Amino acid sequence: MASALRAAILGHIRVPVVANGSKLLTPLWIRSMSSHDDHLEKTQVIDRILDIVKSFPKVDPSKVTPEVHFQKDLGLDSLDNVEIIMAIEEEFKLEIPDKEADKIDSCALAIEYVYNHPMAS
Amino acid sequence: MGASRAQKLSGIQKQVLSLYRGFLRTARSKTPENRAHIESLVSAEFRKNSHLIDRKNFLHIEYLLRRGKKQLDQLKTVESVRLSSSNVELPDTKTQ
Repeated sequence: MASALRAAILGHIRVPVVANGSKLLTPLWIRSMSSHDDHLEKTQVIDRILDIVKSFPKVDPSKVTPEVHFQKDLGLDSLDNVEIIMAIEEEFKLEIPDKEADKIDSCALAIEYVYNHPMAS
Repeated sequence: MGASRAQKLSGIQKQVLSLYRGFLRTARSKTPENRAHIESLVSAEFRKNSHLIDRKNFLHIEYLLRRGKKQLDQLKTVESVRLSSSNVELPDTKTQ
């Protein structure tokens, strides 16, 4: 919702371009108008999730990338999957319903789920 | 419960995972010591059974699911209870 607001505003204002050609980032005052500015940055989400997976006792940390599949690449079983999702719940203060949790079987899906969750913190 | 190619869980697999999750969620509300105890017990028990029992042995799995649900219910209602590690094959005693 906040991003739609932001897009609508940006579509209507003209942002001055700095003469020396440097890329101008979104002016700070636009960010402060967002009511949900506490939404997590994707890089934060990725880092925190990778940390969780890496510190899982049965996992070899060197194999963990944002693309890995818990069972196929890290050799975990479905019970481990449950444990990882529970750890993610605690980290981001979420409760993930069974139906969704059963689908999350890779870092990529976990990252996507958390990033898109409005309540993640 | 070995690794599967694509995670297409059968109905009974989902029930097992749901029960496992139920135990872990309930464990969160206990003291850290009890929580660790419950987690290691439950984890060991589920894994042991996943190796011992044929995944097609629905009868046995369903029996274990029923038994597990009862244990989980007890765990939820009794305060600060340590989950006993008894794997004794008692016949189902009558509950009130």
